[in-house]
Amino acid sequence: MRNQITEMFELKVYTEKSVFVGEVEDVLIDVESKKMESVVVGKLNQQLVDIKNYKGLKIPFRIIRSIGDIVLIRHLAGAFRPGDD
Amino acid sequence: MARVLARSLSKKKIVTNEGKMIGTLRNLVVDFNTGLVVDLIIYPDPSFDTTGYRMEGDRLFITFEAVKDIKDYIVVDRYLSRK
Repeated sequence: MRNQITEMFELKVYTEKSVFVGEVEDVLIDVESKKMESVVVGKLNQQLVDIKNYKGLKIPFRIIRSIGDIVLIRHLAGAFRPGDD
Repeated sequence: MARVLARSLSKKKIVTNEGKMIGTLRNLVVDFNTGLVVDLIIYPDPSFDTTGYRMEGDRLFITFEAVKDIKDYIVVDRYLSRK
């Protein structure tokens, strides 16, 4: 599935347990491996205990399940704790 | 390891490794399944000779394979960028 990268901006990010995480603000690209490395998520859901008071999150591309009308990621509560990015 | 934010790339200039200006970046083609960056979509400069390049309307496509580095400019390989 080939798409333009700007189509990803402002997509809503949900986990597989249908928890709203935030909105895609930017995408980090690794120039050497020619891959999207992670997705920068903003407008975070402040109800999520693990990411309270965070302004933004970097979600690694490997935990993304699929991208369509929304971005669906694996439900990993531990990934949202401080110290991980 | 060079990593760049997609939004910081918008309107960046593309030059070949021999210093020829190609144009301005418009967008990137990515594969949502694999995460691979496939192509650069470029608005070529009016003075740039686009023969030998992949064109769709007024937009020029260059495979991301041709990208050598991205700093202030996006440098692409002269041979790999033609297809």
